[in-house]
Amino acid sequence: MVGLPYDFLTNPLGAVRQTFEKSVASSPTDVDPAAIFRGKDWGAVDLFHDFLFVKGGLAQVPSIDALSMRWLEPNTLVRFRGMVQDMLGNELYVGAFKDGSSWRTNKFTDFSPIQLPPACETQLWERHLFHCVPVPGQNSWVTETKSIPSTQNVSSSASQHEGKRGRGSEDEDMNLNEESDNGDLISSPNAKKQKEHENTCSSSCLSDDLMDHGNDSGLGSGDSNNPTCLVKIYDLPESHLKLNDVFEFIGIYTFDPVLAVHKDDSDDPMFELFEDPTVDLPPSKVVIMRYDLSCIACVWNLNPFSIHHVPRLHCLICRKLDAQDFLSNSLVFESLSTVVRGIRESLLSHLTAILGNDELAAQYLLLHLLSRVRAQVEVMSVGKLSLNLTGFTRESASIFGHQLTGVIQKLLPFTQDITLTLDYLNTATLQPRRNNKTGRLVAGVLQLAQGTHLTINETCMQSGTLSSNGIENARLLKNLLELQKVEYDFEYYKLEMAADVQLLILSEAKSSILPADLVLPFSPGSVPATNATSEDLQAWRWYLATMRSLPCSIEPEMNLTLQDEMVASMQEDKSLGCAELNRWLTMTELMSASFGEKNLSLEHWQMIKELERLRKDRLKEKAR
Amino acid sequence: MASSDFSPSGASSPDGRSSPIANTNSSPALGPAGRSSRRRRRTPSTTPSPSPGALLTPSATPSASGPPSSTPSSLRRRWTRRHPATPSTPMSADENLPPSSDAGDDDAVDHDDADSAPVFVWGTNISVQDVNAAILRFLRHFRDPREASRGNGLLDDGKYMRSVHRIMELEGGESLDIDAHDVFDYDPDLYTKMVRYPLEVLAIFDIVVMDLVARIDPLFEKHIQTRIYNLKSSVCMRNLNPSDIEKMVSVKGMIIRCSSVIPDVKEATFRCLVCGHYSDPILVDRDCKRLVGVRLNTVPPGRINEPTRCVRQECLAMNSMTLVHNRCRFADKQIIKLQETPDEIPEGGTPHTVSILMHDKLVDSGKPGDRVEITGIYRAMSVRVGQTQRTVKSTFKTYIDCLHIKKTDKSRLLLSDQMDCDNSTTNKTVEDENADYRDKIDKIKELSKLPDIYDRLTRSLAPNIWELDDVKRGLLCQLFGGNALKLDSGASFRGDINILLVGDPGTSKSQLLQYMHQLSPRGIYTSGRGSSAVGLTAYVSKDPETGETVLESGALVLSDRGICCIDEFDKMSENARSMLHEVMEQQTVSIAKAGIIASLNARTSVLACANPSESRYNPQLSVIDNIHLPPTLLSRFDLIYLILDKADEQTDRRLAKHMVALHFADPETQVQEFIDLPTLVAYISYARKHIHPQISDEAAEELTRRYVEMRKRGNAPGSRKKVITATARQIESLIRLGEALARMRFSEWVEVQDIAESFRLLEVALQQSATDHSTVMPTTNNVLVAKGTIDMDLIMTGISASERIRRENLVAAMRNLVMEKLQIGGHSARLVELLEEVNKQSSMEVHLNDVRTALATLATEGVVLLHGDSIKRI
Repeated sequence: MVGLPYDFLTNPLGAVRQTFEKSVASSPTDVDPAAIFRGKDWGAVDLFHDFLFVKGGLAQVPSIDALSMRWLEPNTLVRFRGMVQDMLGNELYVGAFKDGSSWRTNKFTDFSPIQLPPACETQLWERHLFHCVPVPGQNSWVTETKSIPSTQNVSSSASQHEGKRGRGSEDEDMNLNEESDNGDLISSPNAKKQKEHENTCSSSCLSDDLMDHGNDSGLGSGDSNNPTCLVKIYDLPESHLKLNDVFEFIGIYTFDPVLAVHKDDSDDPMFELFEDPTVDLPPSKVVIMRYDLSCIACVWNLNPFSIHHVPRLHCLICRKLDAQDFLSNSLVFESLSTVVRGIRESLLSHLTAILGNDELAAQYLLLHLLSRVRAQVEVMSVGKLSLNLTGFTRESASIFGHQLTGVIQKLLPFTQDITLTLDYLNTATLQPRRNNKTGRLVAGVLQLAQGTHLTINETCMQSGTLSSNGIENARLLKNLLELQKVEYDFEYYKLEMAADVQLLILSEAKSSILPADLVLPFSPGSVPATNATSEDLQAWRWYLATMRSLPCSIEPEMNLTLQDEMVASMQEDKSLGCAELNRWLTMTELMSASFGEKNLSLEHWQMIKELERLRKDRLKEKAR
Repeated sequence: MASSDFSPSGASSPDGRSSPIANTNSSPALGPAGRSSRRRRRTPSTTPSPSPGALLTPSATPSASGPPSSTPSSLRRRWTRRHPATPSTPMSADENLPPSSDAGDDDAVDHDDADSAPVFVWGTNISVQDVNAAILRFLRHFRDPREASRGNGLLDDGKYMRSVHRIMELEGGESLDIDAHDVFDYDPDLYTKMVRYPLEVLAIFDIVVMDLVARIDPLFEKHIQTRIYNLKSSVCMRNLNPSDIEKMVSVKGMIIRCSSVIPDVKEATFRCLVCGHYSDPILVDRDCKRLVGVRLNTVPPGRINEPTRCVRQECLAMNSMTLVHNRCRFADKQIIKLQETPDEIPEGGTPHTVSILMHDKLVDSGKPGDRVEITGIYRAMSVRVGQTQRTVKSTFKTYIDCLHIKKTDKSRLLLSDQMDCDNSTTNKTVEDENADYRDKIDKIKELSKLPDIYDRLTRSLAPNIWELDDVKRGLLCQLFGGNALKLDSGASFRGDINILLVGDPGTSKSQLLQYMHQLSPRGIYTSGRGSSAVGLTAYVSKDPETGETVLESGALVLSDRGICCIDEFDKMSENARSMLHEVMEQQTVSIAKAGIIASLNARTSVLACANPSESRYNPQLSVIDNIHLPPTLLSRFDLIYLILDKADEQTDRRLAKHMVALHFADPETQVQEFIDLPTLVAYISYARKHIHPQISDEAAEELTRRYVEMRKRGNAPGSRKKVITATARQIESLIRLGEALARMRFSEWVEVQDIAESFRLLEVALQQSATDHSTVMPTTNNVLVAKGTIDMDLIMTGISASERIRRENLVAAMRNLVMEKLQIGGHSARLVELLEEVNKQSSMEVHLNDVRTALATLATEGVVLLHGDSIKRI
């Protein structure tokens, strides 16, 4: 079949259908030709796989974002990167039907290519629905590198659609294209416009959740304007995707104006509960966000449903993404130990400079940045290393804290930061909650993608009374910190979801609300200094992403030596407990990972012991 | 004509296999809607029949099942007329052309059953007559094997015949509940057909039941609906898939939303605005909404098309018909949403929901928050694009047509609990019938037969907390609990075991508590630091607006029949602790606030943990000084464990090994077999509920013997101290522990071994806490007291016997000193001088405070006069 002249990019459905009809024709006649393809692929996905990954077609596939939404044609191949925010269950659809004497398929689309004959043989198939959002806290550098292919496409295809759009938008379009290299410039006017929208559509309670979500998860990220996406997954068990996983979906973008208008039988009360959650995610092609206000008003009158446009993506291929997938492809470093050491040194000196020449803090910060949850054993999370830098005042937090979060944002793909105040604790919605009226999961601040970095600035915390919401929020944060678990509220019961979030806490003194694994008094010697070239940054990103995912093992001899070492330490210091040992082991693993090594060595253990000694000294010094 | 407005339903299923039954005594539309319409027809007395002409049809259709009696056949005839019979052929020739409703309208085709060829369920080889006969056989002859074994000769009628009779006598009941297990036991083939083609088979079921009823009492008018429940297997909500469409399924879940009750038009009557002619009632066929696949209906589900013209020949006005509301008939309907329960959700998933359609009697039978098991028919409904458009989306909405709803209210597998002596029988039977549950029980019972179950349970309790085996055993006992006893005299003895853990920081006490909290059926975890007296017990608040007083219960009341885990017990306020006195012995909480005096039950086990008062255990001080808790409260704990971070290389090594294994998944540690958490929870709750061990005679003897021995030990000859080693409270604790140990083995008898083990547990705990640490220290008189004497005095009064002796000695020494150094009326001496003197004489360091206390004693004796720091001899 390979070699057939399918137009994968602009007519993917054609390829799907043709392969289906071929397969049906070639299947033995004694079996029901359509039934055997239920929940199975007939070779179409393989074709796409071949096209995308073997023939390198992936680069030509435009990705769905606020920009490309305006010129994307329905029924074309697109891709979308996002976090699984909600699972909307499954949907039954007419997968195949008999048109006269031949079978046709409806797979990978919402509508049949031709009107269903009034009475025909049909096959019911199922697909799973997922609501995916741009990863909360995704940093702008992630999209910068990715947007290059899509901007190239803009110029060519945008011209085809100029006639459909008003003049004002066209001008704006041009500007946006120019600006697209700079994510910040794009996002700020958008955010403003979105605000305006909230005002205009406040009378309608439509998709308030969506709005909430945008605001909640948009903490410090410039990407909240990117569309969310309703992804329909075929032939995969639902368990393949987990909540909060980051995936890339490649599939067919669909849109039908009829769907956008309808809200079926809403006047009939009997349908009130049949209403599926997706009605809150009306599809739309028109992006009004960028239109002039006057324009908004008129569109608003015409079509209230297009305010929030949620594209549908019929997924052909999906893959789970690691931090490495967010690096630009241009730079690939060799995992030579000298190279790694070199990068490590430069990163460490950079961190030291940021932290005002506090080298100890930089060492700890490096280990912290490399940590990830490696296993959840009963109530313990192995591998996490939360860090609490103490000794900040409100002023120094604004200087150093700002620099610090800035650097972390530049280094890691997903970062969030929270300024903890009494008011924040009492009012914010940290807990993700299922709204049973709409059937949707309303994301709280703590619905974070796996591997997100979260900085909590506690220096602005005042004393005062916590409301019950505040107590609940404090408990959620503490649970996240200690157990790496977030409780989701499903109204009649709560479910704990495993999380993997790196937590950095900046506080005046040791935080009791947020008891971190490590407490380190921060003592800067100078003002922070930054000097990083973009090559440096890329090297560091690569370093952090790669070293973080390194597996770690231990040789049997080392195992014994380590045990001896631990016993000796315990004999020396009676106060050593399980928590300390656990931390030391974690740190040793991270230390060896920071050198790009997969095996623990005694050297790293000694380094950790030395670090811990220095830290203890500093703690004592502060106490005095 | 009425019937032209709806097309025959049940025409198809996604794969085109199921279909309406084309037979003489059934009609195409036999879904719930069809059945309900029949019901209406049979109650003409309650509602005036709008058009009698439509009901009476001369053509009689002989019944297929048994000799026809006049009334039933006429009844059937009525609805045969309504749903005109289709000329039946063994198999429909063209699958794409289901029998048209109009076809048979004008001629109710007469069929003589005796001669007619067998009629099949459309698209299958299931013969309607066979099913009919099978159902009749089942209803008539099924006898409950449990009842049959009793050999009651009077039970001539089968189980369901009696139910039918009962329904007829009561006149109220309208549904006949049929246990699917019974159907399966009697006729597996019928069961399979019923599950596979529920619409058709249930319709036949109804017919058969009505026939039966009519034969017994021809005047019985009410319609009896059959409700099937307790299917052999239930589906997980997320596993419902297209192949389940149109089949009978059973799902478990929790109701999260209920719609309001929706009046559902069943029959519509129209009137001509021009001539005033009333149309015949038009049946609204609800069933068209389950149209799946083959044919897409033109009439939207639940909608009636107004007749376009008046049918009266004289009028024939166009567009003149209007709906007459009070001539229409309505039925109740409700849609509820069911959500998966936490135990069915895989990791990293969110709960699924499914819509359930409830009809008539089932409306409002469940409330949000209820855990239910629904038996029903899984169906799909096509989604229409826009109200007016004919185009139908290729997607379907799915729902379950509810046939039966059963509440299974048990949040954490059998929350209803052990100490409840009066087990509600209803609960029990419901559970026992559950196959799933029975499986689980069998597994649990098998577990209990293992010889090393005690060790295995110990291992499985908080497996990631190594060591502390004896503490874990104690905690296990607490989980299983003893028997609560209520005497006729009103005195009651608690069955709960209270445990206190005292230990150095970082000894995973909190983790143990967390773990216990997870395991216990109604565990409450609270920290002593954060809870006030009210927070821990119950508190009355006044609503500022209405002035209403509201009683808010706290942790202890909430954990009634559970375990209340209190972390940082030592940080708890005095007030809250004083509440605990009552809770821990009387098991109630009394509240006298805002004019309300209430005594709330708080039958809870308390598991508390405390840090030593100086944050680390000070071996120089007594336990009491270390824990800093009032002895009265301490004595209420059955077991007090001291968890000390002992400098022991062995333990250190094991800890080190454990830590490394935790990080590098060491295969060595995986060898041991653990019982997983859910099983453990199930095991414990089963034991608590069903096992109520009693003390065997031998065990009782052993208990007495050892108790006496224990008491004696304190009065051992040669011992100068009078030490109480055991008190009556201990004997109660011992019994409770013994009972808990027997429960672990699912044994109804407390054996000698249990008693022995409970003594061992108590002693292990006592040795850690009540062992007088100062006894190892040489006192001033160089009396060395044997190490490890158990001293209940310590727990009871807070002062150990050796401490008492030491104080007495010091007083004596001081007296001598004062007599020596000071003259009566002479100059006074300074306290510090005396201290130096004492220390010179004594082999042990004496503290200033001790000297002061001793002198105070002397002052009360009138020997000296204390004046600040100076001492004067009188």
